[in-house]
Amino acid sequence: MAHIECSGIVKSYGAHPVIDGLNLMIPDHEFVVFLGPSGCGKSTMLRMIAGLEEVTAGRISIGGADVTNRHPGQRGVAMVFQSYALYPHMTVADNITFGLRRAGVPGPEIDRRLGEVARMLGLEPMLNRKPKAMSGGQQQRVAMARAMIKTPKVFLFDEPLSNLDAKLREKLRTEIRKMHNSLKTTTIFVTHDQLEAMTIADRIVLMRAGAIEQQGTPDEIFDRPATRFVADFIGSPSMNFRLGRIERGAAVAGSVRIPLPPGRFAVAEGQEVELGLRPTRMERVSPGAEGAITGRVSLIENMGAEGQIIAEVDGADMSFVTRDFRGLSIGDPVSFALSPDHLHIFDRATGRSCLA
Amino acid sequence: MVPLILRILARLALGLLVLIALAPILWTALGAFKELRDIVTPVPKLFFTPTLDNFATILGNPTIRDGLVNSVLVVAASVGIGALLGIPAAHTLARHMRRRGDDIQFFVLSLRFMPPVAIAIPFIVIYLDLGIYDSLGGLILVYLVTTISTMIWLATPAFERVPPEIEEAAAMEGCSEAEVFWRISLPVAAPSLFGALVFTFVLVWNELLLALTLAAQNATLPVVAASITSLGKEVPWGVINAATVVLVLPPLFFIGLLMGLINSMIRSGGRTKG
Ligand SMILES: Nc1ncnc2c1ncn2[C@@H]1O[C@H](COP(=O)(O)OP(=O)(O)O)[C@@H](O)[C@H]1O
Ligand SMILES: [Mg+2]
Repeated sequence: MAHIECSGIVKSYGAHPVIDGLNLMIPDHEFVVFLGPSGCGKSTMLRMIAGLEEVTAGRISIGGADVTNRHPGQRGVAMVFQSYALYPHMTVADNITFGLRRAGVPGPEIDRRLGEVARMLGLEPMLNRKPKAMSGGQQQRVAMARAMIKTPKVFLFDEPLSNLDAKLREKLRTEIRKMHNSLKTTTIFVTHDQLEAMTIADRIVLMRAGAIEQQGTPDEIFDRPATRFVADFIGSPSMNFRLGRIERGAAVAGSVRIPLPPGRFAVAEGQEVELGLRPTRMERVSPGAEGAITGRVSLIENMGAEGQIIAEVDGADMSFVTRDFRGLSIGDPVSFALSPDHLHIFDRATGRSCLA
Repeated sequence: MVPLILRILARLALGLLVLIALAPILWTALGAFKELRDIVTPVPKLFFTPTLDNFATILGNPTIRDGLVNSVLVVAASVGIGALLGIPAAHTLARHMRRRGDDIQFFVLSLRFMPPVAIAIPFIVIYLDLGIYDSLGGLILVYLVTTISTMIWLATPAFERVPPEIEEAAAMEGCSEAEVFWRISLPVAAPSLFGALVFTFVLVWNELLLALTLAAQNATLPVVAASITSLGKEVPWGVINAATVVLVLPPLFFIGLLMGLINSMIRSGGRTKG
């Protein structure tokens, strides 16, 4: 078990830096998710911590020991790959025990630990199979067992669920989180799926173009996004944005006028801003209520318990989610309002949140 | 019903084609056990009293025996060294030289564009100067050009098909680069490398021109087989047939040996009991 410290990490391929001066501190026992769009450098960062990629500059330490120049096998970390990366010429049992056998751990000890992880991951009936004869989910379980049996100080996952179908992804996600709850091993989990990140993380590190855009608990990231980019990336359906300005204690964008709760924002009168309204934080109200937004229904998406209404407001689409959608049909006028504590305002020039 | 008939017909047609393709070889193999008068009869004989005289002649003839020994030595050495140097080189090309890889691949391939004659004549001069003309070492040396380049050319794609993550996973378990190569990459790529080895082997086992020009006393089997017709006034058909069989057997034996080796290599990646 160990904390991880990355300071001043730079990674360049040729002249162009992919990671540019990244600092990150991960406390012991934490489950951290690197989240961000594809190509933002999540895998690169993870692979540098694993030792599979050299750093161009900066230091990485694990459990207080500087591992920057250590071989991947000497860092006390174990990794699970998106493509499973099982050894195709070995049986499941041999795959899992390869590292221990290599390290010369005595046979009875290996058998005991193999039995343990196989039981935990439900692999007992297939220990003598070859990876080729297994489904993706089973293969990924084997890869997890191979990582666990080493009892590493740190687990690294690089999009381990991306090759699986939705149902299996959910199931394995739960299992990974449960495994962490019982083992408490420091874990870094890379994904581009914001829902996966929200559900599994203690803390999310949201990356953009090789830098950390924001880090915090899923609640912090969801409710207090530091930038427009974060607000846009997190949440499904995604946030509605409107260009507007601050006028007499309210945020105004066309016909939308939302009074500012006192003390929530640091904004100046007349400031050019962008409003952010989360679809899930809005609800239908009677027309003419305080802060009501009125539009015409242009599409209704039935999601079972709730429905997403897409309404045309000032000539542009705005979506919100409500349980009370069954009476509506396309073309109907509809009024809805944001609960006042969930307005987001971003500076138009910098994209930074104006939350005080 | 109809598909079954079609399938049987297809099998028959296939069998016929195989028979036509193999007929000359089978006839040769049969001829190797015949006496000369059984061979030169106007009506081909399918039933005859088999004799081992032809093989006795072959193996009793010092020229042919030496040719066989020379061939085995030269081919074993050149293929062995070619694989020893070429396979690790191919792995390095596949892993570390992705961008330059195509150029190097083409260069290696281009070595094979040249007609052997173009190499042979300068080599005679050079070898005479160096004093290695008509030596097995000299022959091995010139064959290495073929074997190393062919091995690299065929083995690089084999290693490219090994997913890099597998090697990385092994590195994460503490394996050094050499260990990763030996315990992971090589066994995983082995089935494809097998083809490369066989192809290389056949290439040099059958090589005639360079062997003919660069060696006189130390002739290899193809050279001896080519000159066998001058053994006597009568063309010794039986002996020629037996020589052909002797020429064909070692590659078959070699392929069998290699298959066994690869099977054991694939298994040795697993648990070693006891
Ligand atoms: N070996 C490489 N050579 C050149 N560029 C690379 C290499 N690996 C990654 N990159 C670049 O680095 C950036 C980050 O890649 P990566 O870390 O894989 O992104 P992510 O995992 O977040 O999708 C990408 O723009 C990618 O093109
Ligand atoms: Mg990635």
